[in-house]
Amino acid sequence: MPEISFVKAALPKAGAVVVLMAEGGEPSALHLALDAASGGAVARGLEAAGFKGSKGQSATIWAPAPGITKLVALGMGPAAALTPDSAEAVGGAAYPLIRAEKDVLLAADGIEMPVALRVALGVKLRSYRFDLYRTTQKPDDLPKLARLAVALAEPTAARAAYAPFRAVAEGVFLSRDLVSEPPNVLHPVEMAERCRGLEALGVTVEILGLKEMKKLGFGALLGVAMGSAIEPRMVVMKWNGSKKKTEKPICFIGKGVTFDTGGISIKPAGGMEDMKWDMAGAGTVVGLMAALAGRKARVNVVGLVGLVENMPSGTAQRPGDVVKTASGQTVEVINTDAEGRLVLADVIHYAITKHDPKWMIDLATLTGAIIVALGHEHAGLFSNDDTLAAQVEAAGRATGELCWRLPLSDAYDKQIKSDIADMKNVGTRAGGSITAAQFIQRFVQGRPWVHLDIAGTAWSAKDLPTTPKGATAFGVRLLDRLVADHFEG
Amino acid sequence: MLPVAVRFQAAPGNAPNRAGPEQQDGFDAQGQTIRLDLTQGPQAAGALAWAALAEGRHALDIDASGLADPVALAAGATLRAWSPRPAPRGTLSIICEAPRLAARLWAKTWPCIAGNLFARSLVVRPANDLTPAAFVQALQTLSRHGLQVTVHDRAWLEHNGYGALSAVGRAAKSGPYLVTLHWPGEGPPIALVGKGLCFDTGGISIKPAGGMEAMRADMAGAAACAGAMLALALGRTPRAAVAVLAIAENTTSADSYRPGDVLHTAKGLTVEVVDTDAEGRLALADALHHAITRHSPRAVLDAATLTGSIVTALGHHHGGLFSNDARLQSATLAAGRAEGEPLWPMPIGERHREDLKSAIADLRQCMPAGLGRQPDACHAAAFLREFVGTTPWAHLDIAGMDLAEADNPLAAKGMPTGFGARLFARLIQEY
Repeated sequence: MPEISFVKAALPKAGAVVVLMAEGGEPSALHLALDAASGGAVARGLEAAGFKGSKGQSATIWAPAPGITKLVALGMGPAAALTPDSAEAVGGAAYPLIRAEKDVLLAADGIEMPVALRVALGVKLRSYRFDLYRTTQKPDDLPKLARLAVALAEPTAARAAYAPFRAVAEGVFLSRDLVSEPPNVLHPVEMAERCRGLEALGVTVEILGLKEMKKLGFGALLGVAMGSAIEPRMVVMKWNGSKKKTEKPICFIGKGVTFDTGGISIKPAGGMEDMKWDMAGAGTVVGLMAALAGRKARVNVVGLVGLVENMPSGTAQRPGDVVKTASGQTVEVINTDAEGRLVLADVIHYAITKHDPKWMIDLATLTGAIIVALGHEHAGLFSNDDTLAAQVEAAGRATGELCWRLPLSDAYDKQIKSDIADMKNVGTRAGGSITAAQFIQRFVQGRPWVHLDIAGTAWSAKDLPTTPKGATAFGVRLLDRLVADHFEG
Repeated sequence: MLPVAVRFQAAPGNAPNRAGPEQQDGFDAQGQTIRLDLTQGPQAAGALAWAALAEGRHALDIDASGLADPVALAAGATLRAWSPRPAPRGTLSIICEAPRLAARLWAKTWPCIAGNLFARSLVVRPANDLTPAAFVQALQTLSRHGLQVTVHDRAWLEHNGYGALSAVGRAAKSGPYLVTLHWPGEGPPIALVGKGLCFDTGGISIKPAGGMEAMRADMAGAAACAGAMLALALGRTPRAAVAVLAIAENTTSADSYRPGDVLHTAKGLTVEVVDTDAEGRLALADALHHAITRHSPRAVLDAATLTGSIVTALGHHHGGLFSNDARLQSATLAAGRAEGEPLWPMPIGERHREDLKSAIADLRQCMPAGLGRQPDACHAAAFLREFVGTTPWAHLDIAGMDLAEADNPLAAKGMPTGFGARLFARLIQEY
């Protein structure tokens, strides 16, 4: 995972070089200088390769000039279509071509600085690996890319402008680490301890244990936790970056089921290992807090995560149980595998009563139904506030973390009426993601609220432009952008 | 045409049964009294009032004096009065301040109700009665209202290369057919395309037994299109419109099409069949192509009970709407809202199209079972889009909306809803 630096545009003495070219565009000065140093070999090579700069097209020329190991030319597509937001994919496409080189110079002297920064960020995001548990890798199989120097006209300005992106990338990587960790390592107690790491960034971290949550009446969250040998935790992370210290905060709330067997309503065995990432909502909130604090965002924000493990055991919650939530509302548990909403119910209630937020957004790998509805490209977005919903959708488009709004209404709400309690925790198959959102809405007390169902987007089965397959950290970029665009005063 | 004769009048009525906001539910010396429940709007109020009539009573006066929308009351009552069983025709008098104005508005409204009820009368028929041939016969009766009915049969479809629809329908004794209903009028038409699977066993990829009986309603999309066309004809709309209905039965036999088959569609694209139970999109592919190439419509809208996935996504309170055109999409949403037939926009993402890449043909029709949960409604829409080209297009996945899933004002539980007929009729008149 390379260090990104910024340098004046000059021919390097060693290492590899990446030149970027828009379709029908002109080579940059650095590109031309390289060509001259190669005695015209670069131009001839690209001509022979039929390189035109179309999107995703690449050509490699080995040892074009003394000391230079290789030159990679990468097409960016039509110049008119190139924006900072779309430039990250260019960086993502560059990474596999340069991962075996230790030192790489990115010739960005021909493109605008905002675009160059995002190309660099794309390289960085795409370079993520989680190798903690591999003990037999051969050095040759590992990427060697250690340093990416971005060559452009104003390196000092670029360095400053890149700093927030560096913080965001770190937030993304933290989130991916947490989601990638296996469930025997990252259980609720361990994940809470990892959150303490944010203190180094100036975040106040408070951890609530079993005793405190009992006192707060978290009957729903504790009902989920009681089947596990490991105690639950709730972590409250505060970042006060606003100039107005007394400004009401915004709240991000994450579902953190560190492993979800389904409990007594146990899941089928096939694919159950995926349930280690059932804490991805919480993973996103933690990564987001790291990003916001890391770039010293001028906003007051509280991140809250409810951490539990959902296990079947002699002490586990049963279908038919009725639990009392912190809000006082009672829930008939029909299916112990619809546990995420139970965790969120108590954490959201706590967020409102304790922190009085302007608005709140929860993230959860909540329902399989959202995959049947939307697949893996869009997260499901539910909201009681059209303005906030539109802002989240726009931030999603800008960062490539797409959201699609789905409906809420009384007709759906009726589907979770219980015969014995205030509500039941599942309806029928019909509109399963919507009824889950209706359930959560019963705990938001009418506050502006967005619920993101990220069950389809938290983990990717294949490589994406700036995300290697595995944990995506979906939501960190999106919500960081939301805050940056609208809520920093 | 309607199950109820409707009158608007200023004078008090003389029916023994009376409904009004001031009435209490019960009986008096004159007859039955019904409290008009306006909490869900006037249409629902009219419907609930009619539904409250005791058995054997078929005449009702509704006191609508002081109420804003007497026509909606009449519409609701008429829709609710429909019954699949033969029943004596009812009479309804709406007492209101401006009866002549109401009657004029009613003249514009009742054709849409007739269209909706025609759709219901088709959907309710079981598959041993409404075979593809019987469906075609029912559609041919529409010619008496001025619709031009053209029927292409199995031989024509096979001869003209409609390989997708032909494959879907070929195992059944009756069908397949492609039926065109044409309403001549000004300008290029709007085309409706309907899925008319008279019964869907799933074919070789056979469905589980539980709930299969509901598959008699798998022609609800085609029925909605036919209902809309009837509404336009009865209302003598000046706009041109055409409906292309793909009518077939998907069953299992020695001659069924198979998973793995590659079909040549009318458009020329080849399609790998992955699941014979994803037959609706195959039938629609040829019908969409036919509608677009033969009628050059200014917009094309299809309706289909297409996927279980849309029911998981939206339940029974919204149909799914997919479109390639923002203006058509918002007009369709608005028409749905206005007619109480709500839709919700759904995406066709890049990944949805990528998933349809086939190793052997131009595209595959869906994702194979066994790969986990799939956004099949989005996949189906991405598939259909390949057969549309640049014509503005909207696709209505109405799988959750064809039958009333619970009692509602307009239809009792299990009854067909006619969903889509009124929406389409309105859209064509307004777009």
